[in-house]
Amino acid sequence: MTDHTVACSYKIPVGPLHVALEEPMYFRVAVKGETIETVELNAGHVHRGVEYLATKRTLLQNMILTERICSLCSNSHPEALAMAAETIGAVEVPERAQYLRVIAGEVKRVASHLFNVGILAHLVGYEALFMHAMQVREVAQDLKEAVYGNRMDLGAHCLGGTRCDMDDEAITYMRSALDKLEPDVRELEKTYRTNGSILRRTRGIGILSHADAIACGVVGPVARASGIQYDVRTAAPYHVYDRLPVNVPVLDGCDVWSRAMIRLSEAVNSIEILRVCLDQLPEGPINDGGDPYIPPGQAIARTEAPRGELVYYLKTNDNPEPERLKWRVPSYPNWDALTFMLKEAKVADIAIIVNSIDPCISCTER
Amino acid sequence: MSTQLTTLLAVFLFPGGLFALVLGLSLKGLDRRVAARLQGRIGPPLAQPFFDLVKLGFKRTMVPATASQPVFLGAPLVGVVSMLVAVALVPVSGLYSPDPMLGNLIVLLYLLMVPAIVLMIAGSASTSPYGALGFSREMTLMLAYEAPIVLAVLAVALRTGMGQGGVITFSLTDIIAYQRSHGMFLLDPVMWPALAAFALFFPANLGIIPFDIPEAETEVLEGPLLEYSGPALGLFKVMSALKAVVVLSLGIALFMPLPFDGIWGLVGWLVQLAVLMEIGVTVVRLSMGRMRIDQAFGFFLKWPLLLAIASVVTVTIVA
Repeated sequence: MTDHTVACSYKIPVGPLHVALEEPMYFRVAVKGETIETVELNAGHVHRGVEYLATKRTLLQNMILTERICSLCSNSHPEALAMAAETIGAVEVPERAQYLRVIAGEVKRVASHLFNVGILAHLVGYEALFMHAMQVREVAQDLKEAVYGNRMDLGAHCLGGTRCDMDDEAITYMRSALDKLEPDVRELEKTYRTNGSILRRTRGIGILSHADAIACGVVGPVARASGIQYDVRTAAPYHVYDRLPVNVPVLDGCDVWSRAMIRLSEAVNSIEILRVCLDQLPEGPINDGGDPYIPPGQAIARTEAPRGELVYYLKTNDNPEPERLKWRVPSYPNWDALTFMLKEAKVADIAIIVNSIDPCISCTER
Repeated sequence: MSTQLTTLLAVFLFPGGLFALVLGLSLKGLDRRVAARLQGRIGPPLAQPFFDLVKLGFKRTMVPATASQPVFLGAPLVGVVSMLVAVALVPVSGLYSPDPMLGNLIVLLYLLMVPAIVLMIAGSASTSPYGALGFSREMTLMLAYEAPIVLAVLAVALRTGMGQGGVITFSLTDIIAYQRSHGMFLLDPVMWPALAAFALFFPANLGIIPFDIPEAETEVLEGPLLEYSGPALGLFKVMSALKAVVVLSLGIALFMPLPFDGIWGLVGWLVQLAVLMEIGVTVVRLSMGRMRIDQAFGFFLKWPLLLAIASVVTVTIVA
């Protein structure tokens, strides 16, 4: 006999390929009408075996490989790898190189945050704001292209320093680009703070309470939007961050809107950091001229990627290839927190909530 | 010419059928181009909707294995036919007035609801869970905007009917004739609440942001249209192009018919359509984000309904 009872709830697949998600993620969502009952997170759609591959490449080759793990935080991966290797080899990074590393990191942060808030506008259906945010971001993209020759993968770092130096012309160009960028980013921040269409769809959505945020161990803007004041740049300053005006914005809205506002104020702060870096930039070498020798050993390095804390573990032996290279990306703990954020949410908000952690799947699944 | 022949011509050639299709697709092309320019993009060629339609015509229509084929393929046909008749029902000032045999304003209002119903049927026939979500959203939205639009149209019908010495008239030809002799309702403050209610109904019926909730691409992946492809999807595009013409020219007939005849009537009407498309569709959909279905439902039961009730009351009191 067939069962004629009408199912009250049914499952819908969100992903692995979904127009609103930029990367393959798969959520199996049980919904009742428009409300979500349970969420199952599934991973593994873009596993490429990069960690294994890294043990078959030399450290120098790994600098290039790790940059290609992810596009939006492509700068932070080789940076953290270089920092781990330099710790093992006790390599002194020249001061100028440390400033240049900060500059590369902060330019990438501005571009990454603007991309994320732009996508948020796209997801709430506000196409004009999306286009505008992407146009503002284009200034940062041009800046990267002019200084490093690439729009996404900067290739700025090498073991023991940086690969690209900045001459006076590049510095002048960067100053003018920052002058152009800053009012636009401030205007965007004001728009996201006041626009009804954005507020209507983002305030009180995707709540991750302070307690849940601590339990999940979330990092980056997701943590700071839930009232956790944690930023590697101030908690464990690396490079020259202890000399720079790093401002760690914290909000306790715990919602999608707070995360977007944190990203925008960080973008404004990054521009300020960049200016100070350009003012303080000392003369001197940018690397020690060759590949430093890295002896057997192990080390951990931490950087603040645009999405949060990125941890690298490197173990070397007598071979040029590392024995083990392992990293924990910020999206890993943040992804898990989605189970809390999606609880009792509406189907219409799934994409908006998922985007609010700025997920980086290619980093997480590598 | 016999009445039947004129009616057939009206449905298939002018102002309905071929003419309305070309007009609707051109308006869509204009909308996309202007939207792109407002966003700082170059945008597609004006004829892009035509290219899309031709391309879809050459593709295959895939029917999901679990779908009910006759319903799945029949739904877009019903939608197009209803819109063909609906275009022929809307008179154009000084140019065309439909045969009373074809129907009046009440028939037109019913026909205007058919595309929404067709989308609901299509969504549930496709057996996709996103189609089902689209179905429930479409139904909720329709329930929300139905009452305000009926009341707003009622206000116009009352105003004209009382102005002509009767009580109410449901003939659009009479409504246009009344406005041609007494001035447009657009300039009549008594009719402004009705006009505002109609203006709010308009993006919901055309399915544009902020009310494109049933077909929201980033939420339910085009909802009811998700499983459609090829000529069947093309038919939905035709339906939506025709619907744009019907709703826009209904707005013109109800509130702003031009006092011109012949070729100037045609030119004026086309200009009005283009301007309304830009102000009512392009600018609106670019200047805000999408609402959630519960927000949209609440919104329609507040402002448009209040405005529509106010319009009926003021019209009755003034008369």
